[in-house]
Amino acid sequence: MANLLWLQGGACSGNTMSFLNAEEPSACDLVTDFGINVLWHPSLGLELGDNVKQILLDCISGKIQLDIFVFEGTVVNAPNGTGNWNRFCGRPMKDWVKELSDAAQFVVAIGDCATWGGIPATAPNPSESVGLQFLKRAPGGSLGTSFKSKAGLPVINIPGCPAHPDWVTQILVAVASGRAGDLTLDEFQRPKTFFTSFTQTGCTRNMHFAYKVSATAFGQRKGCLFYDLGCRGPMTHSPCNRILWNRQSSKTRAGMPCLGCTEPEFPFFDLAPGTVFKTQTVMGVPKDMPAGVDKTGYVKLTAAAKAAAPAWAEKDIFVV
Amino acid sequence: MSAADTNETLDKITKLLAGGLKTRTEGIPETEKEFGEILNELRALAPDDLEGKLVIGGFINHPYGEEQYRCMECMYYLVHRKWCDLPELAVPVEPDWWCRLWRI
Ligand code: SF4
Ligand code: SF4
Ligand code: SF4
Repeated sequence: MANLLWLQGGACSGNTMSFLNAEEPSACDLVTDFGINVLWHPSLGLELGDNVKQILLDCISGKIQLDIFVFEGTVVNAPNGTGNWNRFCGRPMKDWVKELSDAAQFVVAIGDCATWGGIPATAPNPSESVGLQFLKRAPGGSLGTSFKSKAGLPVINIPGCPAHPDWVTQILVAVASGRAGDLTLDEFQRPKTFFTSFTQTGCTRNMHFAYKVSATAFGQRKGCLFYDLGCRGPMTHSPCNRILWNRQSSKTRAGMPCLGCTEPEFPFFDLAPGTVFKTQTVMGVPKDMPAGVDKTGYVKLTAAAKAAAPAWAEKDIFVV
Repeated sequence: MSAADTNETLDKITKLLAGGLKTRTEGIPETEKEFGEILNELRALAPDDLEGKLVIGGFINHPYGEEQYRCMECMYYLVHRKWCDLPELAVPVEPDWWCRLWRI
């Protein structure tokens, strides 16, 4: 039996929605098959008011063993570092986060807000939001770089806006069933099992990427979305085309560019007008190259790929 | 567009460019905003205003600049159809031409 507590800070509840839609395993499977005891969750907990507060206090004092502390949403520090814009059970949420994190065996940050600040931390960041151990790419965040939970791990970051349901439940099961030691984390503390490959890995448009055939509108059945519509698939670490959404599809499969939501800079370019769904170029050359590719190589590859492109690459191959 | 129509349009463009049509090759868009402004100008044209497209697009019938940029390497160029697939242009083009909406 592993006790799990889930709290929300500056959040839209999107990750809770995602979690409740999980299928492999489902949120119910966590309880019935994997021995997770949900102490409290904002959408599932039966307790209200002082009864919730008592659970939190008991976790901090050790009366209840807190095995997994899950946090969704940013840690809000406004106004002026007090955290009073986000109060919960009589005190700033940031104070609960600190004490519960210190008491927990494992701390799991779910979604971009909890991992690195996400949309709320976008400039000018009026809520003074940070993630648990990062603010965008900068280490530190609310708990500081040296934080380790009782089990000796830093915060386990599961980013995404929202995170895919199965990334959440599969990591929770690994932790609850004593397999946390098998998890290797990347430099941003993301489980490598999900965040080493790219969104592009498994994308059905890879042939069009290779032959440099561009989609020029959303939903088109031919073409790759990198060249014109700002797809960040080649430089975003996510398994979105390996572990499909709703077990059916992904953004890029449906003709919608990847927005790079698992990376610390999301949303990119501070959402300045003209930067969303548009490949940013300097004199016609993309500003952000596919990971590991330089400009000269890219130009050469384009010339070769265009010259080699077969006729079928210019036609719809996904015919209804 | 049928193959005959495409050939006819390509002929027309070839003649216009060979005849010295002055197009706006200056003002290559550096930012997406500038790129978008040119697209907006193109969208405001009557659908059959071929000359308008060439002028606003800044078409030339040879590669551009020191780096010899040309349609052939442009993202919007469909090699087999010899076609510019940028919706606002949507015209047949030769691989050695160029316009200021070029992107790679
Ligand atoms: S659509 Fe995006 S993810 Fe798919 S091949 Fe193109 S750039 Fe890669
Ligand atoms: S496709 Fe990209 S934007 Fe969409 S969920 Fe995956 S990583 Fe996020
Ligand atoms: S956008 Fe311009 S350079 Fe690119 S294919 Fe079309 S006409 Fe050629």
